Amino acid sequence: MSRLIETHSSRNPRLLLFYGIISGLLTLLVCGLAYRQLFKTGLYSERERLQNQRRVIFPRPRGNIYDRDGRVLVGNRARFSVVLDLAQLRGEFRAEYRKVERNYSSMDRAERPNFDQLERISRASVVQGYLDKLNFILGRNELVRATELNRHVSQTLLLPYVLLDDLAPEEYARLIERLPVTSPLQVYTSSTRYYPFGSAAAHTLGFIGINNDPEAEDFGDEDLLTFKMKGSSGRTGLEKVFDEQLQGESGGAVYRVDPAGYKVDRPIEQRRPVQGHDISTSLDIELQQAAELAMVGRTGAAVALDIKTGEVLVLASKPDYDLNTFVPRLTQDEAKAIETSGGWLNRTIQGQYPPGSTFKVITSTAGLRSGAIEPGASKVICPGYLMVGNRRFPCDGIHGEVDLVKAIRVSCNTFFYRYGIETGPDLLAAEAHRFGFDHPTGIELPYEFSSPHVASPAWKKANMHLPWTAGDTANTSIGQGDTLVTPLQVACMVASFARGETETKPTLLHDPKRAPQHTTAIGLAPADYNAILEGLAQCYQFGTARLANVEGLHAAAKTGTAQKGRIDLAWMIAFAPIENPQIAIAVVMEGTEPDVSYHGAFFAAPIVKSILTAWKEKSEREPLKPVSFKVD
Amino acid sequence: MFPKRFDQARPFLTLGIVLLAWLFVPLAVKSFTRATFFEIQAPLVVADSYVQFLQTFWSNRMHSKDELLQAGQQVAGLIAQYDYSTQQNQQLQAEILRLENLLNLPPMPAFRFEPARVARRDFSGWWQRMVIRKGENYGIPVGAPVVFSGGVVGRVTEVHRYTAVVDLITSPTFRLAATASGDNRPVSYQGGLNDSFKSPRGIVEFVPLDIYATRTATRRLVTSGLGGVFPPGLTIGDITNLESSADGLFKLGEVQLDERLGSLTEVTVLVPLNPEEL
Repeated sequence: MSRLIETHSSRNPRLLLFYGIISGLLTLLVCGLAYRQLFKTGLYSERERLQNQRRVIFPRPRGNIYDRDGRVLVGNRARFSVVLDLAQLRGEFRAEYRKVERNYSSMDRAERPNFDQLERISRASVVQGYLDKLNFILGRNELVRATELNRHVSQTLLLPYVLLDDLAPEEYARLIERLPVTSPLQVYTSSTRYYPFGSAAAHTLGFIGINNDPEAEDFGDEDLLTFKMKGSSGRTGLEKVFDEQLQGESGGAVYRVDPAGYKVDRPIEQRRPVQGHDISTSLDIELQQAAELAMVGRTGAAVALDIKTGEVLVLASKPDYDLNTFVPRLTQDEAKAIETSGGWLNRTIQGQYPPGSTFKVITSTAGLRSGAIEPGASKVICPGYLMVGNRRFPCDGIHGEVDLVKAIRVSCNTFFYRYGIETGPDLLAAEAHRFGFDHPTGIELPYEFSSPHVASPAWKKANMHLPWTAGDTANTSIGQGDTLVTPLQVACMVASFARGETETKPTLLHDPKRAPQHTTAIGLAPADYNAILEGLAQCYQFGTARLANVEGLHAAAKTGTAQKGRIDLAWMIAFAPIENPQIAIAVVMEGTEPDVSYHGAFFAAPIVKSILTAWKEKSEREPLKPVSFKVD
Repeated sequence: MFPKRFDQARPFLTLGIVLLAWLFVPLAVKSFTRATFFEIQAPLVVADSYVQFLQTFWSNRMHSKDELLQAGQQVAGLIAQYDYSTQQNQQLQAEILRLENLLNLPPMPAFRFEPARVARRDFSGWWQRMVIRKGENYGIPVGAPVVFSGGVVGRVTEVHRYTAVVDLITSPTFRLAATASGDNRPVSYQGGLNDSFKSPRGIVEFVPLDIYATRTATRRLVTSGLGGVFPPGLTIGDITNLESSADGLFKLGEVQLDERLGSLTEVTVLVPLNPEEL
């Protein structure tokens, strides 16, 4: 029996057809592969990179803020926390998962946790194990916050998971010594704001808030999935105005990750954060503290300026708040307490006050420049009031015969009613405008009162749609009525007058080489200027401002009292030394106590005295060398 | 019959199988084997140490009587100095106790001092450690601080029946909380990557910005006592340079350690009287 052997002929037309089809398909396949390999390589490698790489942005420490002598007003302190590197725990998570799964295996299938739940349980269990180690070392009793942990895993897996935050130095030391160097638990340092002087200059320095979206600043590829650690940004004060300078350069790292999102190696690319620039302010913390100490428990503002340069030495507003309470964050109760006390308001630049009798300096200047007042010749007999029309305008006392010098010394309203009316409202307003009472000072602080104004016929018509009366002029000439200014504006007026000029541009930045300011001259003859100066000097020596008198210091001063609604305002302005003016001061205190009549002589003078005393003591001793601070 | 080529490869095959089998051996067995191996090896190390000691002994016997007399006089002088120091220490201890009682402070951790001979030193780049000739037999616990007259030597990491392994202060895995002398803020000290035959060095981190040190004006680094393992005030070394960290928050720098660490023959283990302190 013969075997039937199947044979093929390579020339079989049917096979040739298959050869053709197979060759065509293979060619198509090769072409497709070649197309993808040769022409689409970039696209696929880019997709692979985006899928496998993650970018992490670290915040940068902010720059420090110093006072004019180099003392740190706002610094950074280290904040120690313990973090857990979850990427190192993948094996433990898997082992724990199997263990937990076995434990639940005896349960009914319907009641068993699903995959996600088992994963969360096992993860929390492993993390709690590490937390227990910390609890043992530190004598604490902390429990893992499962919700927070799950959120961390799903949203910020590449960032270290913070187990314990803001450790005390002793705790940090114990952990340094007891945690193995290779442990997944590591001590992590970040920076937080530190205020060595607590509440001093709180409104001026300002505070920071959390910034959830710190800038990456050209680090890595912006297309990569990015995790950003929380940064900070200035919310008020200098922290806000100079936020850009104070912010440093963000650090960052690019990691390769596995499909679960855990980093698998050292960073592919890395940049360390760089601290922001420092700021040297013109504040003098010694004078600032002296002013604030004298203002404790009261409501008001105090400003002191360097007369020659316009640099702000003191900017104190009460009530205030301790900036350290903002670290790490202000509690709701603390915020409410500040709100209740009225502490949010920076009264030095936001307080809107009628200037009271401090305005008499401007009335005198306007009167002398217009010729309405002649030193020595212009006199009134003060019976304790002046009748304007049929309305009686009161004076604080019966001063008898009063000339300009005496009028300033005893703050005689009758004299200024009379010569204010003679000068005229338009000239009074124009003089006030020359001293900068009609516009903000432009100091480097946010939220300055933007519409200060001096009452005048035009202003009253435009804003109140009422005609101007002689009584309005009388009120304006003694700083009452609708004129509203800030304490900083008044301080600028004092500094300008002390220099014999009309405007002072205040600044909070210190420059040891800053040239003296020079603006338009005051436009008074020397005899006229000296008459006002004599009145101010007498006021300081034995007039209404005598309670501010500092032994051995010749100064010029003027008190004032005004009303804003039902609140009495106690004002005082001063500059010293009179022979070579260097420091100008303006203080206003709000009468918060019922049944107490607020006068500048009693309530503002002690604060002026405190500032002058501190200034005198400091100017008589050797200049301080810059000092550093310790974080206890 | 296997071909010749396979016969030659048989040892490698066996080694491969053993290694593969070792991978699947339970952890407990591995630990037991390692401990046993060390215990078996320990007498050799100890014996070697005794031989070295004997060698030193006999070499010392070669000195002349005059040399010995001179050395004896020097030792007598030292003993007198130490006697005086001991008296001073007793007075200071009494004063510390009085102040602690006065201020109602918790007592400082108390230690028992256990002197031990060094049996073997290993200063290779990876294993900066030494073996001492005392172990469980003298109640030495894991984690106990080890010191010598120049300051900190290291910390006990393994304890065997008659020996103990000390992780040296030069080791990169050694870390403790320290303070710059005259300051009370804790900083972190960690051993560095020390090459053999070079001066031992370490790294100091998280140093506050107002602490300064240069090669010519060094700053002494001492234990802080805050970590709860080492008592305060023990010398670690001298900070020879400090530079600001990139984030500007701290400084970091190098610490020059005692040269004698490389030739120690005798150390003291500080055994806490309360073992829970470790």
